[in-house]
Amino acid sequence: MDRPVAPAAGPGAGNDCRPWRRRGMGRALPGALFAALCLASLMVGAGRMELAQLTTFSGEAWLTLTASRLPRLAAVVLTGAGLAVCGAVLQQILRNRFVEPATTGGLEAAKLGILVALTLLPGAGQGVRMALAMAFCLAASLIFAVITARLRATVLVPVAGLMYGSVLGALAEFYAYSRNFLQGMQGWMLGDFSKVVQGSYEVVWLVLPVVAATYVFARRFTLIGMGAEVAASLGLGYRAMVVLGLVLVSATVAATVITVGAIPFVGLVVPNLVSLWRGDDLTRTLPMIAAGGAMLLLICDLFGRLIIWPYEVPVGLTGGGVGGLMFLFLILWGRR
Amino acid sequence: MILLTDIGKSHGTRAVLTGITARFPRQSLTSIIGPNGAGKSTLLMLIARLAEPGSGRITLGGADIARISRAEYARRVATLRQFPAIELRLTVEELVAFGRFPHNRGRPTAEDRRATDEAIAFLSLDTIRKARLDELSGGQRQMAFLAMTIAQQTDCLLLDEPLNNLDMRHALRIMQALRSLCDDLGRTVVAVIHDINFAANHSDQIIALKDGRLHSSGTVDQVVTEAGLRDLYGLDFHILPRPHGRLCDYFTPKGEAG
Amino acid sequence: MTARATFALTAFGLALLALAFVLQGAAADPVWLIPRRLMKLAAMIVGGCAVALSSISFQTVAGNRILTPAVMGYEAVYLLLQSVLVLTLGASGLTLWGGSGGFLLSILFMLGYSLTLDRWLFRDGRADLWMLMLVGLVLTMVIGTVTQFLQLRISPGEFAIFQSAAQISFERVEPWRLLVSTILFCVICLAGWRGLPALDVLALGRDQAMSLGIDHRRAVRRLLMLIAVLVAVSTSLIGPTAFMGIFVANLAYALAPGAGHRLTLPMGCAIAVGMFLLAQLMVEHLFDYRTTVGILVNLACGVWFLALMLRQRSMI
Repeated sequence: MDRPVAPAAGPGAGNDCRPWRRRGMGRALPGALFAALCLASLMVGAGRMELAQLTTFSGEAWLTLTASRLPRLAAVVLTGAGLAVCGAVLQQILRNRFVEPATTGGLEAAKLGILVALTLLPGAGQGVRMALAMAFCLAASLIFAVITARLRATVLVPVAGLMYGSVLGALAEFYAYSRNFLQGMQGWMLGDFSKVVQGSYEVVWLVLPVVAATYVFARRFTLIGMGAEVAASLGLGYRAMVVLGLVLVSATVAATVITVGAIPFVGLVVPNLVSLWRGDDLTRTLPMIAAGGAMLLLICDLFGRLIIWPYEVPVGLTGGGVGGLMFLFLILWGRR
Repeated sequence: MILLTDIGKSHGTRAVLTGITARFPRQSLTSIIGPNGAGKSTLLMLIARLAEPGSGRITLGGADIARISRAEYARRVATLRQFPAIELRLTVEELVAFGRFPHNRGRPTAEDRRATDEAIAFLSLDTIRKARLDELSGGQRQMAFLAMTIAQQTDCLLLDEPLNNLDMRHALRIMQALRSLCDDLGRTVVAVIHDINFAANHSDQIIALKDGRLHSSGTVDQVVTEAGLRDLYGLDFHILPRPHGRLCDYFTPKGEAG
Repeated sequence: MTARATFALTAFGLALLALAFVLQGAAADPVWLIPRRLMKLAAMIVGGCAVALSSISFQTVAGNRILTPAVMGYEAVYLLLQSVLVLTLGASGLTLWGGSGGFLLSILFMLGYSLTLDRWLFRDGRADLWMLMLVGLVLTMVIGTVTQFLQLRISPGEFAIFQSAAQISFERVEPWRLLVSTILFCVICLAGWRGLPALDVLALGRDQAMSLGIDHRRAVRRLLMLIAVLVAVSTSLIGPTAFMGIFVANLAYALAPGAGHRLTLPMGCAIAVGMFLLAQLMVEHLFDYRTTVGILVNLACGVWFLALMLRQRSMI
């Protein structure tokens, strides 16, 4: 099994960065693109809003901006960056290019956690739901890490992960169905930014410190990608790092699932694209991964808002579609 | 007799075989030797029709093999590649009976059962005939697959590295069995052999490939010479005559061999 | 003799389960209950056998014990077609097409997918299965989000229709579709019967099969066609079965008294049908309809499979 996209030695092994792009351009262009996307995200919506209105400090426009558009922009950027970084960390920890929260059971586990919180502690606030979702996600990820450690074929890992996810999903369905809660559960199955308004989305800011922490430990996560033996011989506490990584991933997954729902593929596609372009050293690539995730999600969100304006297609769908196509492209491209 | 005329084969732009012309005489054991990547297995696969040559012609008894139907070909030529990795929960007996498939298409007759028994007896596998393949050692499993090929009762047998991963005892048993297939049953055997000593001591004829081209061919005496092997493998060889054959020593470089 | 005993025992158990399913509490209204239950039983038999046959023969072709048509995207293609039908025609369109038209259309789709697979993956006769598996997984995930989106958008009535199309269930069996499925299934079985010995040879791998005189390319293409129709039959009759095929096939290998398809295929059928019966009985009596057959089957198969992965190191 030696595919360019699935090296048996794990992502950390091959460190081929291709300097075929000049650094200066590589930095300025994405920056401008990012700014343009943010601006576009602020401007697009069901309610009309024009720059002129803002300059006149029209109360309604400002309200739209601060109560809905800005929170939405923040949620999109944070979610995209967080999920992409999550994917990168998971790929290092599990040493497999094809994992992300959706292919390791993490998303399903978080959903299960929310479900348990909603049914057992119906009066509890978002904090409790968040804590339960994170706990479930962490437990599920730890179990999955144990499972993958025993799988020899790299390509089986995402299959096992999807199967694992479907078991957790069936468990959630079983639980929800027996409590007549199935329809309620559909609500946060699919990522959707339209319900993000001031006062309901703040949990997602948790992603910011998580991404920062990931950046601090980036070098160690890169080393982990080389395996337990290498990490240990370089004096790194392998287990502690794995647990820390999974805690960070769980926090991000839980925060994003609670605020916007499940968004597949972002964590899969972005790290893979960045690593094709700039290699696998997370100390260098993590900012690019975060920015790439944010931009991909901004594009998907804009697309979803424009395609059937004034209604909108949830980002889970556009993200799933765009991300899925990109992933297919990655696979087929890596095949040649 | 199998006749190869100007065979060429390439994978993409890389030529694997170029201009191979060779003959495999009836009722003889021919070994194909050569360094890794010389195209030995590819050549055997072409003869077995597991792949198609890019150019050239292969004939069996005068007829172009591409014109023979696959079912008919399976009654005249049997091929054994390295055994498949999939865990087969078959007994040795069941596996050997598969060799009769070209003759009965899955509806065994008394004749088929007799041929199966003969093949098992020929390799002295009677003690393990009820054993399951996944319970056997690598050597025993290879013997079982060889028995299947023998039960096919074809004039010609093609074997791809039949000694791979076998200990000396099983390797010798298989080589002796191949020898006896030629001498006693009049079959034509072609085998890719890595071990130069097995090839030199048990073959009638040797074909040596290097870099996809025919390096040398002929009787053992013609091919197995110190100069020829040195050129073929890029190693220093001492060929030591023995009462019933020869020993090719490449373990000690020239200076130390004394 | 042991083989015969195993099968006698299996058949006996199966008959008991079937009797229990048909007759339990039927005294209340036998005229209405029994024919309906017989129809459900027929759907279980045809659907279960189709799942088992397609999964086991696919695994033989692929030379792998994890892959099933469901994993390779067959069911995803089916669900995609259903989603597109709902999107374009609305639920009324789905019920309309859900009859014979939709059935034939989905069979055509499956055949097309099979041909693509054959073209793309089995060219040179060597299957690039990993690639296909990843593509199948992506398709499954993408289509999963599409179906979720539909579930959010469509009205509750439509939702119910779609939901029943997206999960294992025996409630929606209609006499007409059952009849068509049964006939198709029988035709496939007859067509496959002659190729049964060849299937055993295919299990030895491509090279060995070819040197035993099998036209591997043609045999694979034919089998993929048969598998496509079988998947279409099972999916449209009882819904997508996801990972159930893996469970059924691997349990059949373990329980069948030998490795030949003559033994594993019937054993697989028995396991699949038995599982459906057991799940249905459990839903009706143990869980009092608070869960569905689909959820139970997914749960059982998934847990079993993960346990298998943990226990057995070299699965592939």
